[in-house]
Amino acid sequence: MTSAEAATWYFKKAARIMDVGERIETLLATPLRSVSVQVSIELDNGEIRTFKGYRVQHDNARGPMKGGLRFHPDVNEDEVLGLSSLMTWKTAVVNLPFGGSKGGIQCNPAELSVKELERLTRKFVDQIHDVIGPTRDIPGPDMNTNPQVMAWIMDQYSRYHGHSPAVVTGKPIDLYGSRGREAATARGLQFIAREILRDVGQQVPGTRFAIQGFGNVGSHAARLFHEDGGKIVAVSDVHGGVQNPKGLDVPALFDHVKKNGTVRGFTGGTPCRNEDVLVTDCDVLVPAAIGGVIDKRVAAEVRARIVLEGANGPCTPDADEVFEQRGVLVVPDILANAGGVTVSYFEWVQNMQHVTWEEDRVNAELQRVMKEAYEKVGQISRTRKLPLRTSAYVLAIGRVGKATVLRGI
Amino acid sequence: MSIPASLLKKLVQIPIFQGLTVPEAAEFFEVALEQTIEKGRTVFREGDEGDALYVILSGEVSITKKSVELATLSTHAVVGEMSLVSPGDTRSATALAKTDIAVLKIPSKRVQKLIKGDHLASLKVVANLAQVMAQRLGAINDRLVSGDSKKKPEAKKEELAEFAGILNRWSF
Repeated sequence: MTSAEAATWYFKKAARIMDVGERIETLLATPLRSVSVQVSIELDNGEIRTFKGYRVQHDNARGPMKGGLRFHPDVNEDEVLGLSSLMTWKTAVVNLPFGGSKGGIQCNPAELSVKELERLTRKFVDQIHDVIGPTRDIPGPDMNTNPQVMAWIMDQYSRYHGHSPAVVTGKPIDLYGSRGREAATARGLQFIAREILRDVGQQVPGTRFAIQGFGNVGSHAARLFHEDGGKIVAVSDVHGGVQNPKGLDVPALFDHVKKNGTVRGFTGGTPCRNEDVLVTDCDVLVPAAIGGVIDKRVAAEVRARIVLEGANGPCTPDADEVFEQRGVLVVPDILANAGGVTVSYFEWVQNMQHVTWEEDRVNAELQRVMKEAYEKVGQISRTRKLPLRTSAYVLAIGRVGKATVLRGI
Repeated sequence: MSIPASLLKKLVQIPIFQGLTVPEAAEFFEVALEQTIEKGRTVFREGDEGDALYVILSGEVSITKKSVELATLSTHAVVGEMSLVSPGDTRSATALAKTDIAVLKIPSKRVQKLIKGDHLASLKVVANLAQVMAQRLGAINDRLVSGDSKKKPEAKKEELAEFAGILNRWSF
C-alpha cells in the first residue's frame, strides 16, 4: 500500500469510528478539482519532450488549498490525489486556515539539466496559473523540488497576475522566503518530542533517539534533539548508517557529512545498514526518509517506545496495528511533520502582509501551533481511547466537517 | 499451462464461464498463466491498456477509481473482463492486491483469436459476458430513473443535520 492509499485508509477508519454516513464520507474524500496537463518543453539537445503534470485540489472548506509540488518518475494521478487529501487533514490538525492540495510532474529530475527543469517548471505554471493563486491554491516544495523551483513558480505566476510572492512558499530567504522554513519540519518534531516525553514521564535530556534519513528533516532533527540534551544513538541515509549506544558526537557527525555527503563511514560509532536503524535499541524512533519502511514485520522488532513520523506514511496500516497491540506510541505524520506546512503558512502570512518575521518569532509561533495540536489530539486519544493517528484524523474530519456544514453544500 | 480438472470444475461455475464443458474449459484456459501478486501491488492501473482478464484463485482484490474503493473481490471473482470484448481500451479502474493473491491471467489476444475461429467455448464466454453486462446496464438504468440524483431537498438537509449532530457529539 502506498502512503497515498494508506492516508485514504486511515481517513475511512476514522470516519467509520465517528459513524459519518457513507455520502458524507464520499463528499469529504472526493477532490474538488483535478487538473492534468501535458507539459511539452524543448530539451537542451533540441528534442521536444512531453511530461505529464498534475494538480489535485482536494478541499477548500477551511481556506485556500496548500500542498507541495513534486518531480518524480512515479508521479501519477492516484498518488497525487491521495496526497492532496493528506494535506487537507494535516492543515486541519494544526488548525491552519488552509485546505489541501498536491501536484507533481512525472519526470526524472536527475536526467534533466537546470535549464530544462526551469523550462519545465515555467511551462507547468503557464498551464495551471489560472487555478492556483495566493487565495486559491499555494504550491510548496516536495520531493526533488527546492527553493529555486519555488522562485521560478513565483516569477512565472507574477508575469500573468502581477507581483505575487504569496502564490508559493518555500522560496529562498532572499526572495520572500521565511526564516526558519528549512528546519521547520524538524523543529516541529522537536516540540512534539518534548511534549510526548513529558506525558510518559520522561525528559529529553538522556533520551535515546534513532533517526532514519539524514536529509532536510533527519539532519535538522538530529541537531535539535542533540541541542535539547538527547542522545542520538543511530542515524542513516541511503548509503548506510552508523550507531553508537552511548550517543554519537553530533557536531563531529555534521563535519563528516559536510566532507563526505553521507553519514556512512563516520568513525564515531559502528557501521550499520539503513534498515538496522529502525530496530536499534532506543527510546524514540524517527523514520524521516520515505514511506512504507515500517511494515508489520519490522514493527514487531522495533524497540523504541515512541515512533515520531518525520516522513509521510513511514508505517503501513499493518504496522500500526502491531504497534497498538505492543503499546508503542505512534505520533502520526499529519501531526508530527506538520511543522513544515505550518511555517509555510507563516511565510504566506508574511508575504500577504509585506512583513518579515525574525526567526525567534517564527519558532515561537510554531511551538504554539504544534503544542496546541498535540494537546487536542492527546485529549481525543484519552477520552475516546483511540490511538494518536485515529485521533488526529478524527480531529481533522471534525474541523473540515464543521467548516463544510457551516458554509453549506 | 495445464489446469487440474478439479480447478476447471470450479471455474465453469463462475457466471462468465458457465455452460463450458470441462474439455472446453481446458482448451479455453490452455494459455492461462498462474501468477502470484504480493499484497499492496497493483494487478493493473486505471488508464493501462486492457490486455488480459484475471480470475482470482486466492486472496482479495480491491477495485478503486480515483482512490475511492468501489468493491472488494475475492476467490473466483473475475476482474478486467471488459478487455475481452474491447481489446486495447484502457482500464476503467485500478485493481490492487489487498492480500497476497494468486490469479489466473488470460490474455485477451488469445480469446480474440479463438472468437475469430468460431471457437465454441470462447463464443459461450462472450455470450455469458453479454448477459452479465446487460444485467449491469439494467441496474444502472434503474438507478438513473429512481435515482440518487433525484433525492429530495429535505434529504440533503437531514444528512447535513445528522453530520452536524455527530460533530457536536464529538465536541471539537
